[in-house]
Amino acid sequence: MPSWIGQAFRRGILTSRFPRGPASPEEVPETSRPPVLSPTLDPAPALSRATEDCPTGAIDPEGLHHGRCIRCARCTRQGFAFGGRAHPCASRPEDLYSAGGGPLPEREANRALAALGRSLQLFLVDAGSCLACNLEVLALANPYYDASRLGITFVNSPHHADVLVVVGIPTEPLLEPLRRAYEALPGPKAVLAVGACALEGGIFRGNPRTRAPLSDTLPVDLFVPGCPPTPLDILEGVLTLAGRGRGIQEAPP
Amino acid sequence: MSVAEDAAVAPGGAAERSLSYLPPDRSFALFTDHLARRSLRGTFGDLGEQDLRVARNWQPSAIRPWVLDLGEEVEGYGTFRFPYGPFSMGVPEAGTFEIVTYGERVLESRPGFGQKSRGILGSLPGLSPEDAALRVERLAGPYSAAHASAFLFAAESAAGIPLPAQEAHVRAVAQELQRVYNHLHVVARLAEAASQNVGQAQTHALAEEVLRLGGRHFGHRWLFGALLPRGPLRRLDAPERSELTRSLSAIGSRFEALWELFQGSRTFVDRLQGTGRVTRSQAVAWGAVGPVLRATGVAWDDRLRDPAPPYRDLFLPLARQTEGDALARALVRVEEIRSSLLLLEQLLDRWPGGGTIDPLPPVSPQRGLVRCEAPSGDLVWDVSVKEGKVREAGFRSPSQANWPLFALACRQSVFTDFHFTLESFGLAFAETDG
Repeated sequence: MPSWIGQAFRRGILTSRFPRGPASPEEVPETSRPPVLSPTLDPAPALSRATEDCPTGAIDPEGLHHGRCIRCARCTRQGFAFGGRAHPCASRPEDLYSAGGGPLPEREANRALAALGRSLQLFLVDAGSCLACNLEVLALANPYYDASRLGITFVNSPHHADVLVVVGIPTEPLLEPLRRAYEALPGPKAVLAVGACALEGGIFRGNPRTRAPLSDTLPVDLFVPGCPPTPLDILEGVLTLAGRGRGIQEAPP
Repeated sequence: MSVAEDAAVAPGGAAERSLSYLPPDRSFALFTDHLARRSLRGTFGDLGEQDLRVARNWQPSAIRPWVLDLGEEVEGYGTFRFPYGPFSMGVPEAGTFEIVTYGERVLESRPGFGQKSRGILGSLPGLSPEDAALRVERLAGPYSAAHASAFLFAAESAAGIPLPAQEAHVRAVAQELQRVYNHLHVVARLAEAASQNVGQAQTHALAEEVLRLGGRHFGHRWLFGALLPRGPLRRLDAPERSELTRSLSAIGSRFEALWELFQGSRTFVDRLQGTGRVTRSQAVAWGAVGPVLRATGVAWDDRLRDPAPPYRDLFLPLARQTEGDALARALVRVEEIRSSLLLLEQLLDRWPGGGTIDPLPPVSPQRGLVRCEAPSGDLVWDVSVKEGKVREAGFRSPSQANWPLFALACRQSVFTDFHFTLESFGLAFAETDG
């Protein structure tokens, strides 16, 4: 007789080895890596050619703004390749700028919530997203990522949360609810901005109906770039907020 | 308690302020406009007229702007209304519902629109179709393949550009992959609402495996950029296609094992049966689309009625149920997971060597209108192109068509039915507001 328990046992353990072990190649798809300019190319002409092609203004003649990149792959024709270190989250947007288009330097982990120790409660807030970021954040609860093994859980009210996870480009009608949700969080609290839209507006940057960047509305503690970032990127972002981030190591192919 | 619920109990104007809406984008005006000019093909010739009626009902209501008004007022002793949202329990997306109730029973649940409007349609004119498609696929991430391919087909039809046959296959593969993901996601969310914890975890795991296939074979988990003419990182070559076929058949058999358990679970089946019922006459009168329509016994699927190029030569069984409740909608989705897997097998097996496909005939010079079956129903994109740039664009998404049916299905239900009804419809505010 088939049973749920038998079914679950037959599937075995699905959960990622991250953060204790290296991430599998399945967990780091090609577009989850930031684009990096090939080191064999002369940066100046390659950057100026890619500047014309970039739809979000992520590339300028001086370098590459990872927070604006939506991983559309257009710059791959101008000598860029998705080869950077997975997960370049940062506590200041300017830390996501790489002059010359090369890889980003390693940084100190953010310790905004180190006082909370091992347990973090997240409240997801959608400021005007396409739903992809929402579902990637909620994917942390599925058996492949199982964030609860790391003490990370989702709560249904901002009153119970430590971290406000904001996705999407803020739209005018949602600004006030956003502020109120932030005020409802008890301290110590932190704001995690997830995805290119929440960072600087992504592909919608400059649209008159929206109010990007999010950091004009809320004090953001950590930015996780990507369009959308993978669940592993988001998990690493949450761990970084708690001072437990150690970067994503990858298994050799 | 959500943030807006806090506002609802505050005296004075706080609740009013929390319900600030923007009018929906121009898509509805465009939609009614093109319906007036071109009757939609189909079994019931009056569907176009019925769709018009839905559009008319989306005019600003007298009570509050941009809350869906079904044209009648629910009143009675002790009745009160409160806004539920925008960051509400269990709903992954921001959106406010105006709920009319006298306690346990929900007399009416009216969705409010415009809070998530990012002004996407307004930003399209003047862009090249390729640049515009980057924005269109970000209308709603889980439905990106359907939106991107309908938009690109419409733009190509307007500009009269022939399409490589392989490209049409890639679009169909992406759409079917996303349909499998979305239906699995709905089943998982229903299981979650019915407290089937092992079932929801295992189904979410299967949905994650489908996303990973996107990451592996298209370079992006949500297939963003994968359908663009110059965008894709990968072209499905022969070894990748056979690998994808193998992975999909493994997912199919794992899903069958899970579904057998779901069917045997009285808690799951009883909770869905009779919940959020939509009758056949309501579905036809209000212009329902997709699984909501097919669950009431109407045989309508754009892939069968009005097939775009790759679907013409493929075998596709039609999923249909008659009860019209959440269980019937779930059964339609399960049937469609099977049929999508079958379609994917055929698509990957019969990969075209080369050649091109003629663009669909434009509705008027330089204006293309394409209907395509998105995971939650019939999607329409109407694009006019002039000198290689988008001149005007409009869409009618399945969510826009199905919201009135959601409001009807919520009538006389209880609060705990809310999530079952919402999840089984598969609605998104993101593709409603644009």
